[in-house]
Amino acid sequence: MLETGIPKLDKLLGGGIPRGRTLIYYAYPGVEGKVFGMQTLYNHLKKHHSAIFLTTSCSPTPLFKELKEFGWNFFAYLGEKFRVIDSYSPFIGTKDELGIPMDETEVIESYTLHLLREMENIGEPTLVVVDSLSTIMDLCGEYETLEAVREWNRYAKIHEHVIVYNFTAWPYSEDVLQELKENTFEATIMIGGIAERVIFGQYFGLLKAEWTPAERKSVLFKVVRPGGIRVYVPKIVVTGPHNAGKSTFIRALSTEAVSVDRLGTTVALDRGHVEYKGLSVDLFGTPGQERFDPLLKIIGGEAMGVFLVVDSTKSRDFVRAKQMLESIKAYGLPFVVIANKQDLPDALSPEEIRERFSLPRNVDVIPTIASDGVGVFEALERLVDRIMEDGINEGGV
Amino acid sequence: MALEGYSLGIQRLDDVVGPVPPGTNILIIGPPMSSKDVLLMQMAAYAFMNKEAVIFISTNIPGNKLVDMLHDIDGFDEEKIGIVDCIARTLGIMSPETDLIQMASSPVDLTGIGVRISKYFEDFYMRKGIKKIRLIMNSLSTILMYSNIKTVYRFLHVFTGRTRSADALGLFGIESDMHDEQTLSTLKQLFDGVIELKIEGDKEYVRAVGFTPKPTEWVLLEEGGGD
Repeated sequence: MLETGIPKLDKLLGGGIPRGRTLIYYAYPGVEGKVFGMQTLYNHLKKHHSAIFLTTSCSPTPLFKELKEFGWNFFAYLGEKFRVIDSYSPFIGTKDELGIPMDETEVIESYTLHLLREMENIGEPTLVVVDSLSTIMDLCGEYETLEAVREWNRYAKIHEHVIVYNFTAWPYSEDVLQELKENTFEATIMIGGIAERVIFGQYFGLLKAEWTPAERKSVLFKVVRPGGIRVYVPKIVVTGPHNAGKSTFIRALSTEAVSVDRLGTTVALDRGHVEYKGLSVDLFGTPGQERFDPLLKIIGGEAMGVFLVVDSTKSRDFVRAKQMLESIKAYGLPFVVIANKQDLPDALSPEEIRERFSLPRNVDVIPTIASDGVGVFEALERLVDRIMEDGINEGGV
Repeated sequence: MALEGYSLGIQRLDDVVGPVPPGTNILIIGPPMSSKDVLLMQMAAYAFMNKEAVIFISTNIPGNKLVDMLHDIDGFDEEKIGIVDCIARTLGIMSPETDLIQMASSPVDLTGIGVRISKYFEDFYMRKGIKKIRLIMNSLSTILMYSNIKTVYRFLHVFTGRTRSADALGLFGIESDMHDEQTLSTLKQLFDGVIELKIEGDKEYVRAVGFTPKPTEWVLLEEGGGD
């Protein structure tokens, strides 16, 4: 198995990529997809294995210098066992001594010729990283490139090479995108952004891998320098009016929780950490009193999503809750409303609360009894789904 | 709460066009040697004065030079500007990326340019809470030198869309004489309006198309660029 160098991803792939297989990092525009291919390449070289790298949008020298920020020294591996095909420098009319220059960069056969030749010359099963497939499609045409990629993949299969492609999913023809996502490679890794008005988080997930069952799960990540891809734990804010049960809600969810109470109510901050079904989430509670609103501003600014907890029996607090909801909406954050204290007499049903808040059907209002832990994990799963699905459905962003 | 519209920052145009709604994308077309770049700088200056954030995608001036040019403008605040430098790396400038200047590998590296635009949108909108953002690209022509129209169209399709959903104002400059009519009309489809510049004799005129039922009158720009 060839490891990608991203432990969480290797786990999803059942250990890595088997020989003779191909994989696409299918990234939506604006998210950091390029790092995936480069990390896979560096991880492989580091183990003193051979590799071929095709660069299409940057000359090798400045690219490798730039990648030093990640702590990756590609220069150290250049030679017979690490070959760089450079289509970019000839394209813009410059020279770069590190790579094998390619001519006719707008003709797909030229890519085929160089790739197959280097795969043959290297003399052993190797890793080929193409960065990026989208640039080749831009230069040589979508359908022509797709046809050629099939040929490269067939060749790789026969000779047990692994090919990894970086790809940015610009709005190409729908059928080409579909073909790339579903049928052209043995594994597809989706890399997307969580967006409301702007992208404010990135995730990756396994769409398919023919050698292992795909777990439909998305993993949030950040790109750090040095280091590369790091799995990221989101921050979820729990807010709501005074005495709605926010601290109880956090405690019911958390494997560890801390709160600063005075006279039975939260005056500072609740914090909780949840490990649940492979989710790793940090929760931050805000005090309900109005004088703490600036705190909500600070906490809300970096949050990935929000729970708005309301006491289903206290309709007089709904005005306050609605104000809080407005400030959450102003941040453009995904949120779920928690209709808490459902065990008490006079509790309004989730539907009645939806009406009072004039919430559209697509906003979740989840009934809970936080003191008994009822409904809290359903609410967590729902909110995390909402955070993820904004990016995953409809091609995200 | 709805955002109020954006003034362009060019008095003569604002007089006839008025504030444009958030999410507007404008193409600014002018011949070489026209005041297109000056207008873009004035639009950036106006943003500084009004505490808006600016994402400046520079395809023809290295980021550090651009900072030198912007530095003396009133209201310049490093916290509110992000430069995506698409040219420095190709000139062999290997200075590291900073919060102020992010480097794309080259004008061909549309993926890299896109990643950096998204970063700044996130930084201003989510972290700094600045809801009014101006996205300025000084020359689409440079991008078009390296990538074909289809590729550039796809890129712009995505990023004019992002500008729209972030309620920002997108301002994209392009040289009129470097591209054929078909290229320009293809690109125009992606924009809500066009600002055109022309030079006649030693005078320079500007008009706005697409903001009012009919194009505005050509108005004279004062000597040395805008007013």
